[in-house]
Amino acid sequence: MKDFLTGNHAVAHAVKLCRTPLIAAYPITPQTAIYEKLSEWEASGVLKGIMMRTESEHSAMASCIAASLTGVRTFTATSSQGIALMHEMLHFAAGCRAPVVMANVNRLLAAPWGFWADQLDSLSQRDTGWIQFYCENGQEALDTVIQSYKIAEQVYLPAMVSLEAFFVSHFMEPVDIPEQEQVDRFLPPLDLPHKFDIDKPGFFVPVVSSELYRKYKHMAQESMDSVKEIAVKVDQEFKEEFGRGYGMIESVALEDAEVALVTAGSITSTARLAIKNLRKQGNKVGLLKVRLFRPFPVEAIQVALKGKKKIAIIDRNLSLGSGGIFCQELRATLIHSPDHPLTYSYIAGIGGTDVTPEVIQKIAMEVMSRTEPVDKPMWVME
Amino acid sequence: MIQPEQQPNLLRSGHAACAGCGLAIGMKLVLQAMGPRTIAVIVPSCEGAIGGVYPYTSYGVPTIHSAFEIAAPTAAGIANALKIQGRDDIQVLAFAGDGGTFDIGLASLSGATKNNEDIIYVCLDNEAYMNTGIQVSSATPSYAWTGTTPEGNPRRKKNIMEIMAAHYNPYSATATIGFPRDLQQKITKAKNIRGTKFIHLLVPCPTGWRTPSDISPELSILAVETKVFPLYEVEDGKRYTINYEPRHLPIQEYLVKQGRFRHLKEEQIRKIQRDVDEEWEKLKQRARPSPKTRAFS
Amino acid sequence: MNTNHEPSSEYVIPISFGSTEIIETGNWGFLKPQTSFMTAPCQESCPAGNPIPQFLYLATDGRYHEALQILLRENPFPGVCGRVCFHPCETDCNRAQYDEPVSIRSMERYVSDVAANQPLNLKPVRNEGSKRVAIVGAGPAGLSCAYFLSLLGHPSTIFESQKEPGGVMRWGIPGYRLPKSILRKEIQRILCLPIQIKTNIIVGEDISFDELTQFDAVFLSPGAGLNTSLSIEGEDLKQVWMGQDFLGRINSKEKVTLGKECIVIGGGNTAMDVARSALRLGSKVTVAYRRTKGEMPAIRDEIIEAEEEGVRFEFLIQPVKINRLQNKKLAVTFQRMKLSGLDPSGRPKPIPVKRKFITMETDQLITAVGEQVDLSWIPQDLIKNGLIEGNPSSKIFGGGDAIDQPRTVVHAISSGKKAAISIDLCLRGESVNQVFSKIKVGNKGAVSMGAYLKGREDGEWPEEQRIITYEQINTLYFESSRRVRMRKRSDDKRLKGFSEVNLSFTSKEAHFSASRCFSCGTCNYCYNCYFFCPEGVISLDPVQRRRIVDFEHCKGCGTCAKVCPKSVVVMKEVG
Repeated sequence: MKDFLTGNHAVAHAVKLCRTPLIAAYPITPQTAIYEKLSEWEASGVLKGIMMRTESEHSAMASCIAASLTGVRTFTATSSQGIALMHEMLHFAAGCRAPVVMANVNRLLAAPWGFWADQLDSLSQRDTGWIQFYCENGQEALDTVIQSYKIAEQVYLPAMVSLEAFFVSHFMEPVDIPEQEQVDRFLPPLDLPHKFDIDKPGFFVPVVSSELYRKYKHMAQESMDSVKEIAVKVDQEFKEEFGRGYGMIESVALEDAEVALVTAGSITSTARLAIKNLRKQGNKVGLLKVRLFRPFPVEAIQVALKGKKKIAIIDRNLSLGSGGIFCQELRATLIHSPDHPLTYSYIAGIGGTDVTPEVIQKIAMEVMSRTEPVDKPMWVME
Repeated sequence: MIQPEQQPNLLRSGHAACAGCGLAIGMKLVLQAMGPRTIAVIVPSCEGAIGGVYPYTSYGVPTIHSAFEIAAPTAAGIANALKIQGRDDIQVLAFAGDGGTFDIGLASLSGATKNNEDIIYVCLDNEAYMNTGIQVSSATPSYAWTGTTPEGNPRRKKNIMEIMAAHYNPYSATATIGFPRDLQQKITKAKNIRGTKFIHLLVPCPTGWRTPSDISPELSILAVETKVFPLYEVEDGKRYTINYEPRHLPIQEYLVKQGRFRHLKEEQIRKIQRDVDEEWEKLKQRARPSPKTRAFS
Repeated sequence: MNTNHEPSSEYVIPISFGSTEIIETGNWGFLKPQTSFMTAPCQESCPAGNPIPQFLYLATDGRYHEALQILLRENPFPGVCGRVCFHPCETDCNRAQYDEPVSIRSMERYVSDVAANQPLNLKPVRNEGSKRVAIVGAGPAGLSCAYFLSLLGHPSTIFESQKEPGGVMRWGIPGYRLPKSILRKEIQRILCLPIQIKTNIIVGEDISFDELTQFDAVFLSPGAGLNTSLSIEGEDLKQVWMGQDFLGRINSKEKVTLGKECIVIGGGNTAMDVARSALRLGSKVTVAYRRTKGEMPAIRDEIIEAEEEGVRFEFLIQPVKINRLQNKKLAVTFQRMKLSGLDPSGRPKPIPVKRKFITMETDQLITAVGEQVDLSWIPQDLIKNGLIEGNPSSKIFGGGDAIDQPRTVVHAISSGKKAAISIDLCLRGESVNQVFSKIKVGNKGAVSMGAYLKGREDGEWPEEQRIITYEQINTLYFESSRRVRMRKRSDDKRLKGFSEVNLSFTSKEAHFSASRCFSCGTCNYCYNCYFFCPEGVISLDPVQRRRIVDFEHCKGCGTCAKVCPKSVVVMKEVG
């Protein structure tokens, strides 16, 4: 069924379709619409479950972890300061191997205050052990939430679905809402082996030795690595059921591209238009969309960018003192590439500033003309 | 009815609490009254040390060692998950220390209580951060020595019961290990109430209070008999019941036995006595007339 | 506790399933709790050595039958003692220093009455069979001796001069204090044992003393049946009676008619019994005593009850002459007395105030100034200072009022018990003194039959126990309370006959009264050590009377010793 939905409401639909019975949340702009929609459905009985209206995002995550370890599917949504406040619990969720699914609406972090799109909030949680997806639009956000449950509940790691403030969260688009039976077919109920067992009393989260800490971290790393395979499989299954698929990454006109642009999130949509324009003008520019950020799909990207000479990475985020975070990951991915591509880091769209097709075309043209490497990130200040 | 003392011991021996630990006594009594169909939450504190090092544990019920400030929302998450699963025969118990309750966990406790989450929250109050080695908390009493108040705590102890009462939750009660039957009766009562139940449990700490290892129960009783820590209940934030009429012993009898009060001056002792008397009067005015109960019977 | 699971998990997270019980935290400390029982002062003071804390513990638990069983181990007359004893136990009760003493006597009565109708296990421990013991006198001493001898396996024959057994309990103490039905029941319980009783037999007349010595051992407890005379002019007048005779007639249900007014001379229990009995026969009664109220040897309660009932008291007067007046009344002349110095017994000594006399008119005078033992039939070598002194080498023992000891029922019982043990030892050819030092209950003369039986049967003699003082009681664990007073028959009803004055406790009152016991020096399963052990290493089994400590996990913090309200637990170094 198609409907005209915001990204936030698309996410809410996904949560309902996944029959997630326990939701814990706290309001924060621009995520609040997800919380409100789900609360409305909980109150009316459309959503069978419990909405925990906690006093903070930190507690929301704490409740989700606990409920998850009790054996029920959980969801929360947050943004910006909220995810920053959650930080401690994000590590805890991954350490507990709790398959919590969270939607994060990317918003800049204070100070100074602002409400605008910026991916730093979720990217600065990249080391917490969560699976991370970055979505281009509402439809993808809806579909990715459903996929995330299926992945998270196989590998026992939490998953985060990011969508940018306003550009995705509030923008209304036609969205195809799957049928409940389809989702039920696609997504089996949660069956967590490591849940509380009243007849076999165990002590969860004990103090362990250094060696054991290392052992369990290693196990988690292996699980996280396996996501790359599972995510592809799940996406395939999703496509079979729903007719849509995304992949971990998406290549657009890369085959003959002299310059490859790399984007994540809503800038990808703009980049698609920019590439069309550039191609019309005869410029061989292609696009790589990175949808899965954690685990970082290293091998897939290596294959996709094989033979490329020049790559421009556009980051709507900044790790102060280093640069764009996707750029760091990409450079690390290509470090052993026999092609030794030149990689250029562009910081664009920070703080929600507009990244127009023209800006992207300009970046592409600039890279076309470059022959020397540039270490520093280049800021787009238009 | 099965007496709590006939229930199995759910805090196994071999745990790592200091000799004479009041907190261990408290946990033992509470778990015993809770019974085996309980899921417990503990947070970083001496409870964690008592819990044991992998693969061994002293807890005889499923337990999670959660983060410091989230005993209540963790318990609430479990309680709601159980509700979703229709397992209404399992109770959820949260243990947190005074730091985890009065200080860092206060907001999350307030949040869970506001929602009237169906949990029993037991604050194991030993009046300072003891697991990290005796630092002042907002449960530390006036003038008490701690590692971070070497000249004595300049502020009074926070009145957590009044904070809880202001949530209009169905049940809050004070209890202390010196009155084990009273404590276990309160736990039993709490088990039969739906919503957020709060037990403020005073647990003397030989290490932090600078006392011998054998007087934790005695101090606990003296705290009640000197009115430092009256035993009472608050229902729905408004019905106050005093459970035990204290002997009104002078405050010195309680203070003199503890190294943390050794440096007190006469006027400080008088001030504590005034505070204690004033609080008692306030409490008495709130409490409805209650029959004198026999705490030891 | 379920510890059968594998200690480690095969999950993606570490979950501890093993029990910390494998960690021997007992190595943390070298002091370990030991139980060390002490003797309660009440028990020490009880001449019969009644196991008071133990029986009160069982009573608190509602286990009245067991309570009676352990009382009967030391005393065959709990129903009697629970009514007429002078209860030194209550005087010395540690709780008296805290609020009020425990109502021990009333509880003994309650337990005895409540459980009396249930069958008792009073079988002798071992039947020695062939040896026979002769007992003279079926009063509390003689019956007790026969009773304890039976428990030790020795049959006995009692020779009693009266037509029924009971001695002072039967013929002396009036029914309003000790209903005859209660006494009858307790005597019947004793006589179910292998005891032969021959009544209406006077030694020296119906059987010779020599015939007694044909038995393997002899116990002489003839009682103090002779009235002490006043040795004053007019004592032989018709209206002047002897107290014991008077009480004997009443207790024989003889119809006794008294004059309108009656003076009773004396200040002991006999005087009180006489005075109160006379009241019940309709007389106006005045008791005349040569010292003051404080020196009266009678049990305090008896004096109080006598006053309540309307007995008048005149102190510091001593009769010197009795005249019969024209109007058939008696004129009794008294010497005014005063107290000065102490007599050899340590009591203030009454001396006459020169030339001060008073005269009182009365219809009747009854004297109750003490009793003496009839020794006419006893060989001289067994007599000392007007009393019997036993001779273990010839296997002849004395007891009750006929030996040198206070003349109370419970002392008589105690002497019967001691004699039974002595006789048992003599018959077995063992030394008496050595054993008595092992079975004594404190240092006031009581011995324990329980300890003797255990020692004799199992060779396990108890270690000497110290007496626990009030200071050793942790009163923090006790709430202050008043003791319950027994309800009494109303004043107007009680003087109409000889019905028992004191009415029993209700079950609620009994439970409360028993629960007031501090249980000094004895574990009464208050569960303090169990509740307060931070390690959970103490287990208690009140039914098997066991207390077990898991030393592998006891860190030796000492809490259990400190919280034991009765100092039963002590910390000791163990190897």
